[in-house]
Amino acid sequence: MNEIDYVLCECALSALQELVEILEKECQIEIVKTPTICMTMIEAEDSVELQPFYLGEALTTESELIVDGKIGYGICLGDEPVRSYCIAFVDAYLKKEGRNTMVLLNFIREHNKIIEEERQEEHAYIMRTKVDFKLMEQE
Amino acid sequence: MGYVAVKGGADAIYNSRELIEFYRLKDASTPLEIKEIKSQLRLAIDKIIGEGGLYAPEYAAIALKQAEGDLFEAAFIIRAFRTTLQRRFYSERINTREMFVKRKISASFREIPGGQILGPTRDYTQRILDTAKAFETIDDVKLFIDKFKKQSNNKQSEPIQEYEKIIDQLKKEGLLKSVDFKEDRTILDITREAIKFPAPRSARLQMMARSETGGLMAMGYSSMRGFGTIHPTVGELRYGSIPIRLKDPSGKIRYVGKIEVTEAEMISDALEVEKKESPKYMVGYGLCFGQNDTKAICMGMLDVSMRSKDQSLPANDQEFVLFHTEGIESMGFTNHLKLPHYVTFQSSLSNMRDAVERKSEKKEMLTKELTEG
Repeated sequence: MNEIDYVLCECALSALQELVEILEKECQIEIVKTPTICMTMIEAEDSVELQPFYLGEALTTESELIVDGKIGYGICLGDEPVRSYCIAFVDAYLKKEGRNTMVLLNFIREHNKIIEEERQEEHAYIMRTKVDFKLMEQE
Repeated sequence: MGYVAVKGGADAIYNSRELIEFYRLKDASTPLEIKEIKSQLRLAIDKIIGEGGLYAPEYAAIALKQAEGDLFEAAFIIRAFRTTLQRRFYSERINTREMFVKRKISASFREIPGGQILGPTRDYTQRILDTAKAFETIDDVKLFIDKFKKQSNNKQSEPIQEYEKIIDQLKKEGLLKSVDFKEDRTILDITREAIKFPAPRSARLQMMARSETGGLMAMGYSSMRGFGTIHPTVGELRYGSIPIRLKDPSGKIRYVGKIEVTEAEMISDALEVEKKESPKYMVGYGLCFGQNDTKAICMGMLDVSMRSKDQSLPANDQEFVLFHTEGIESMGFTNHLKLPHYVTFQSSLSNMRDAVERKSEKKEMLTKELTEG
């Protein structure tokens, strides 16, 4: 489930919107809470003594839907009403009977791959700045 | 002395707001796009989200545009904006060891787990003004990006991994001062409860995380220059993104996105060690939103100095450090001096005139006495 949320939060919004538009055609949707911005307090801890403290808040969007009688919550960082709605829809959709799991899982698999490729690409740029120490006499 | 309310400035205030908008736009050929501000003024945005205490890069970009580039004002706008929002969630405690590392250096050890990764930094540049930037075109941008990407693709990259920390090594060797359980370890939220001194460490860390970078730097620098007792070494400095998870209303833990942070672990000699104990190191901790090396380093330094029993030095004094590095408060109080103080000043002026008059009367009397005598 965590992997699903990860992909839904990180994937291209247009692709996610397209997926939800296809799936929601066959569902009865009731909006319990329209996407609304709010805040999440980030709890951190010092890495040595493990002293917990609050780092600051992060802008968050939350929404709540009922899809064919099943409740779904959509929470994501930022001002992201469409993404929040889509996450809530998928959360509820996965609980309902007669769901098309295959379409969803294919989406998750495909987009997880794209996200990982992008991460790997960025990592490659970063690793070019890794210091290759040489002793002076080795020069 | 009471306060007297005056009115009559409403039109002037309204027109002044219009005028500042006019000055913001009068020479503009293209309105600044939020997307461009966010991506091209990345480090300014990081300062605003840190000092504003709200991780909202897009909103910080709007605030920066609105404030004509004034970082204090932009952070103030963000801090004010956050008061309009409801806090609906608390995250699960973040684990910085899960960081997708973009920068990782140590000034204490040459060889560190995973190596030293400079990441995006201007540390080793000569600070020579690049006048070519004045003529940068979209084609130049595309050309640079393409070239940069091609260079990277030619190299076989190491897999993404989580790295062990320097402090883990020192911990294993028993070189770190053990946790003082007598210290107040409660988790206080300074946005909900007024801070009292001595403040628990959690409150000090939270306040420093949203302190103003320049203020923290001044305090940290003062300590190193001799107005304090701390001159630490960067054990490890990391910058990267970390995942945020929280419990949704059904109690299920959900991934909700990632934030960028800078983390500093500052190694210093332990301030007070028991007589029978061998010498130990103490680690000061710094963590803030975005990429901000200076802030994280100074936070780590002041974390150590404020734990000193000797509170007589500026950088060791909790109240002195925390209240004077709080950018929004400091700026607000300093700027209130611009607001009308007519009554206060008139009272001072009246006292001054009376005193001058008394003095000149006394002088006249003395001269008269001397001439007559």
